[in-house]
Amino acid sequence: MKLNPMEIYNLLPKTNCRLCEPKTCMAFATKLALGDISPDDCPPLLETKFEKNLARLREMVAPMHSAEATGIKLDEDKCTGCNNCVVVCPVDASVEPPTCEGKAAMSQNTVFRVENGISKIINLEKCRRFPPDRLNCRVCEQYCCTDAIEIW
Amino acid sequence: MEDIVCSGCALLCNDVSAETSGASINSLGLCKLGHTHLETSFKHKIGNTEKELSKVVEVLTSSDSLLVYGWLHTTNEAIQQGQKIASALKADFATGADMGPLQTMSHPIHSNNLEIDLEYVRNNAEFIIYWGADPSESLHRHASRFAVLPRGKNIPEGIESRTIGVVDVRRTETMKMANHRLILPKGTDAELLKTITGELQGNSMIKDKVLGITASELIGFVKGFKKSDRIVIFYGSGLINSGNLNESLTSMATLVQTLRDAGKEAFALPMFVQSNTMGAINASKEKSVTNTLQRLVSNEFDTVLVVGDDVLAHLPGPAAKAMAKTKIVYIGPPGGLTDKKATIAIHAADTMIASDGSMTRIDMNDIEFKKWKATKSEDSISEVLTKLHELLDKKKV
Repeated sequence: MKLNPMEIYNLLPKTNCRLCEPKTCMAFATKLALGDISPDDCPPLLETKFEKNLARLREMVAPMHSAEATGIKLDEDKCTGCNNCVVVCPVDASVEPPTCEGKAAMSQNTVFRVENGISKIINLEKCRRFPPDRLNCRVCEQYCCTDAIEIW
Repeated sequence: MEDIVCSGCALLCNDVSAETSGASINSLGLCKLGHTHLETSFKHKIGNTEKELSKVVEVLTSSDSLLVYGWLHTTNEAIQQGQKIASALKADFATGADMGPLQTMSHPIHSNNLEIDLEYVRNNAEFIIYWGADPSESLHRHASRFAVLPRGKNIPEGIESRTIGVVDVRRTETMKMANHRLILPKGTDAELLKTITGELQGNSMIKDKVLGITASELIGFVKGFKKSDRIVIFYGSGLINSGNLNESLTSMATLVQTLRDAGKEAFALPMFVQSNTMGAINASKEKSVTNTLQRLVSNEFDTVLVVGDDVLAHLPGPAAKAMAKTKIVYIGPPGGLTDKKATIAIHAADTMIASDGSMTRIDMNDIEFKKWKATKSEDSISEVLTKLHELLDKKKV
């Protein structure tokens, strides 16, 4: 389940104190929803009066830490092996160019490859979301018709 | 891994590979439908057909009124062989494509050069509309391989260079990729097509909601036609089986012609799901009887030779019941209702395993099957039909 920035925002101090790197509470909430920062990066939130809010926020972001490094989760039960993720992935296009023309991925160098009728992430470390780059690319999730791919 | 051709659906993917490993099979690139089809076909056990074939000859030659039927999952070569058998036995030849696809392909829309190669779609189509078609459920790789997502010669950015529209009676999974999502009441396709055509011709017809679609949504959709130079409409069973086929296709032909008159390239292609529907249609055009279902229901046939298709599972109820009362001779892969109900069943390997001959893809391109390690050519439907034809010749039918 994706985090809703507004839900997070409502748990923040909403003072725009500019003590954090994103500077505003709304920007902080957006970055927190994407997993780019931690609740502990908000100094006022560490004060006692926000104790409950901090605990709730930690609870909300906890599943993100259990997700893989890129935050991508692929539900094999929902996947139909349509190859959409293979074709739209920019990394796949660069390492195996025929994939961007609609061909199935055959090499071992792509991020996604459809094996036995189901898409698999075979090179997670090549994903543009993988640290240290951590680009906010969500194209595989955007074009997965069956919602088998979800990004935290 | 060896290159194979998938016969799981009408896309006949030929960019996939597979390998056998003991009793199991591994594949690359095949969608879930294709892999499941391959896995099931690989596990089929095919027995000796010789003894059963002589029984088949007895049943077929003793029939007074024989129908040779099925064919949607067989190769073009098997269909030709079937036509020869039908001719030798003076039987009626028909295919499962009679129910909808054949009427669709007989409509004048298809005499206007409205069809185009799927490669053209990939390389050129700027505005793609799925009308009553949901490829994410039935032709899984349609969008990724040919239509929506791939980059092409004039589509350098892939999906970013295209606009996608989906028109259906319900919310579909394909709509997730679409820029325009129109949900209309069942059977109103012709009305919507006429409204769009009228708007394109400059007769401003959209003032308020049309068929429950808001004016802004519909005007946005019409703008998609106006902005694009190359437009392809894929229409599927939602339109074909809407109960208003003739009027809908005529309205679609008018829309395409209107777009062409405005200097655009526009095409309309059918979306059939069964693997060799187009091959069956090609064969049906000349030699097939077209009122098979009515004749089945009125019990005109005493025997039906069903080849490569589980027809009892998808025929309309009255026709299936009438067929079940006849002597059914089934030739095809094991399993299914027709195989179970048949008086005599001869099992043959599925085309994906037999890997001989060719099928016709939905854009009328013939795709040749490739031999591979799992190929069992002696068990193919074509081979069984050839043996049957030889036996009939010997008997001098």
